[in-house]
Amino acid sequence: MTPESVIGLEVHVRLRTRTKIFCACRNAYGAPPNSLTCPVCLGLPGALPVLNKAAVELALRLGLALGCRVRLRSRFARKCYFYPDLPRNYQITQHDEPLCEGGRLEIGDREITLERIHLEDDAGRMLDRAADQCLDFNRAGAPLAEIVTRPDLRSGEEARLFLRALRRLLRALDVCDGDMEKGSLRCDANISLRPAAGAKTGPRVELKNLNTMRGVRRALDHEAARQATRLAAGRPLVPETRGWDARRGETFRMRLKEASSEYRYFPEPDLPPLVVDEDRLASIRRALPELPANRERRYVAALGLDAGAAATLCESPALAAYFEAMTRALDDASACANWVTGEVLRICRERTLNAAAFPVLPGEAAALLRRVAGGRLSLGAAKSVFASMVAEGLTAAAALARADLELIADRGALAPVVDRVLAENPDQVASWRAGKTGVADWLIGRVMAATGGRADPALVAGIVRARLADD
Amino acid sequence: MSGSAPTTLLAAAAALRGGETTAAALDAGLRDAADARAGDLNCFTWRAAAADPFPGCEGGPPAGASPLWGLGGAVKANICVRGRVADCGSRLLAGWRPPYQATVVGRLREAGAHLVGATVMDEFGMGSSTEHAATGPARNPHDPTRVPGGSSGGAAAAVAAGLAWFALGSDTGGSVRQPAHCCGVAGLRPTYGRISRHGLVAFASSLDQIGPLARTVADCAAVYEAVAGHDAADATSLRAPLGAPLDAAGRSAAGLTVGVPRGGPTPADADTVSDFEASMEALRAAGVTVTDIDLPDPDIMLAAYTVIAAAEVSANLARFDGAVYGARAVGDTYADMVARTRAEGFGREVKRRILLGTYVLSAGYRDAYYERAQRARRRVAAAYAAALSACDAIATPTAPAAAFPLGDKLDDPLRMYRSDVHTVGPSLSGLPALTVPTGRDRDGLPLSLQLTGPALGEETLFTLGAAVEAARGEGGGGGP
Repeated sequence: MTPESVIGLEVHVRLRTRTKIFCACRNAYGAPPNSLTCPVCLGLPGALPVLNKAAVELALRLGLALGCRVRLRSRFARKCYFYPDLPRNYQITQHDEPLCEGGRLEIGDREITLERIHLEDDAGRMLDRAADQCLDFNRAGAPLAEIVTRPDLRSGEEARLFLRALRRLLRALDVCDGDMEKGSLRCDANISLRPAAGAKTGPRVELKNLNTMRGVRRALDHEAARQATRLAAGRPLVPETRGWDARRGETFRMRLKEASSEYRYFPEPDLPPLVVDEDRLASIRRALPELPANRERRYVAALGLDAGAAATLCESPALAAYFEAMTRALDDASACANWVTGEVLRICRERTLNAAAFPVLPGEAAALLRRVAGGRLSLGAAKSVFASMVAEGLTAAAALARADLELIADRGALAPVVDRVLAENPDQVASWRAGKTGVADWLIGRVMAATGGRADPALVAGIVRARLADD
Repeated sequence: MSGSAPTTLLAAAAALRGGETTAAALDAGLRDAADARAGDLNCFTWRAAAADPFPGCEGGPPAGASPLWGLGGAVKANICVRGRVADCGSRLLAGWRPPYQATVVGRLREAGAHLVGATVMDEFGMGSSTEHAATGPARNPHDPTRVPGGSSGGAAAAVAAGLAWFALGSDTGGSVRQPAHCCGVAGLRPTYGRISRHGLVAFASSLDQIGPLARTVADCAAVYEAVAGHDAADATSLRAPLGAPLDAAGRSAAGLTVGVPRGGPTPADADTVSDFEASMEALRAAGVTVTDIDLPDPDIMLAAYTVIAAAEVSANLARFDGAVYGARAVGDTYADMVARTRAEGFGREVKRRILLGTYVLSAGYRDAYYERAQRARRRVAAAYAAALSACDAIATPTAPAAAFPLGDKLDDPLRMYRSDVHTVGPSLSGLPALTVPTGRDRDGLPLSLQLTGPALGEETLFTLGAAVEAARGEGGGGGP
């Protein structure tokens, strides 16, 4: 019997504030090393932390969206350990009185419950520069919300789905850009096995630094398999911290748990208790946007979209907004959804664009699609017109006028073209007569080609079949 | 300057206002005194060069200027002055120049004061004698074989010897009040949060407060008025308006009530007890009612203080790892470098407290020590609040005896810690406490009274302190 995996995640979310959590340095990614530092985030003697209220606001937005209970009075604590990237050699975090407790996030028809969300400051980064180890403290003091789940996840794939659902929520709330490659979203996982649901779990292994969606799934699957293999072979498991080597596709031991440091938490004396005003909390709750899960359900139930399109649209708030703006101009949600998940998304990816900055307005995209719906433009032609709208910033009307791509739906204009194609292809006409009726499609294709794809395909087929039958 | 040269900050300010002297002349006086005595007293970490200008202090003080205008003061070597050494009394920070400035230093400059130097202190504030200073010890101006107290001992010695009109020290468990006592000057520990800690190198953050030392109570009030008040750079800073502390030093104390611990001032030697009684007599004569109150057991307060302060030390001093600033030892690995840096850089007393603090926060011991000490702290604060509901201020000696001889307690940390027995209660409770010089013991060494007030009760302390000083003080600030 295959043992069951019991998995809990610790996700670090870098909050999108203008400045760091305890000082006025800019909270940004990619600046030259140590250019965004000050006495506070460098931990210089005598420097004191002052809490950035914007970080609290974002954490509360996240906590409320995840259905957490918010502590109106929480506390910061010092977590003491020595590490080169930790400027004060203690981290300012929240320990036994976190800002948010409880809460849940849906993945499909499963609900993953949360332990807590707390605020803390990020450490710096060690840069490998040839033989020298260098430290970059730009990230030190960046505001983090740490989300701790309960051990509700059962597979690497569920962990991946959880992170995807979390990422789209973070983006919908605009609390974090969710970019794992920039370290804006980082994940550690705890995994243990048990012989069956409800049975006692084995020793817990912590997997550190799972920094891609795929890495999370692969590392957990690999680790579950490793533990199962050991158990099957009668070899014991030990509590330990392991890393993930994506290149070799395996986890490796970093340290044993009994050797792990003890953090000597105590209340942070430099910061008074964090008091949240109930009115403020209520106004943050009122200002929450429609959450992606609700939006996805609405798209399927009220707009009749298929599940895949609804999920894709809800992945990014900008994409969903684009879609909704299109539907306001064109009353065909499915056509709009197909267009956005197809053309708009493809072009966004090709050009690494956010849909919010898409060069064609949703209203213009809708105007183009209206021609397709009215039978005046083929879908294929619409795509190439759209490409020129994107490339040259044209309105639908202007692009169509210039490309002269409107469907030729005029029987009088098409009949001479059909006659010419039949005259030029006597062999094919002969084989049709001999009973090979499939040849008609080939002839229709020739007519379409002769009109540059602009002919109304249904009309062409009618004329071709009529002419062949007449002869 | 005439024969009646000013000996107090306020007298000097009056002389400046009256055009009887100039800032430059007063500064020359301080320099001459320091040239003569600073070497023997070993009270400065650095002194401002003679050529250091203090712009804007030509002519006389403008209307509405602070009494500090044009006057030279000192800061303890754990208060950051941009670009000047703040060694905190430690080898580990020898030569460290902060790239930023403490809020209090900015406020002194705004008041028109200038710095004559930084003063010697026990390493990171841990000590009662300056014998734990990397460049120490400083000497007591009243008797160079005696300690000046600590940890702000250099500051107290400089003020007492007339080398600065005032100084800013820091007080965690008594580090302003006990040296003020030893050197016969006035010293205030303000309400926790009253003076910004931004730029004060931390010892124990929940207890640390910057406080003024000066020759009289009114001088202390003038310095307090210049540097106290809300600062956005310190999240524990209080927002309450400042009021008029200097005026309070001139108010009548009649009608106020002072609480005295039932059973008298203990622990205290015989001279301290009789001096304390004389002070109570003086207060009664000034129309003050003296009443009995109850204070917590001093040993419990000292134990709670020792545990909490050590716990915070273990975290606050963790940053001194040699990585980014300060001294760095050579090591084979990062961990080795850090261990050697700390082993070589920290002195014995600091190491003792780091070890103790690490221990009391460790799993398995935390409940028995740290949590228990926190509970004791809450009970101490409640007991002080209860006592202060029956009086305007509490009177005790500042210390059990006058300044002790150098070397006397150096090998016995527990005896050294007992120097703080009367001062840790207000620290644990976050309350303001003022040391007022009162008399001398049989060896001619200064003795003092400590007045503890309710939160934000500094003004009452200045009123009562000035009354005691008027009856018992030596007028010119008790200079040696």
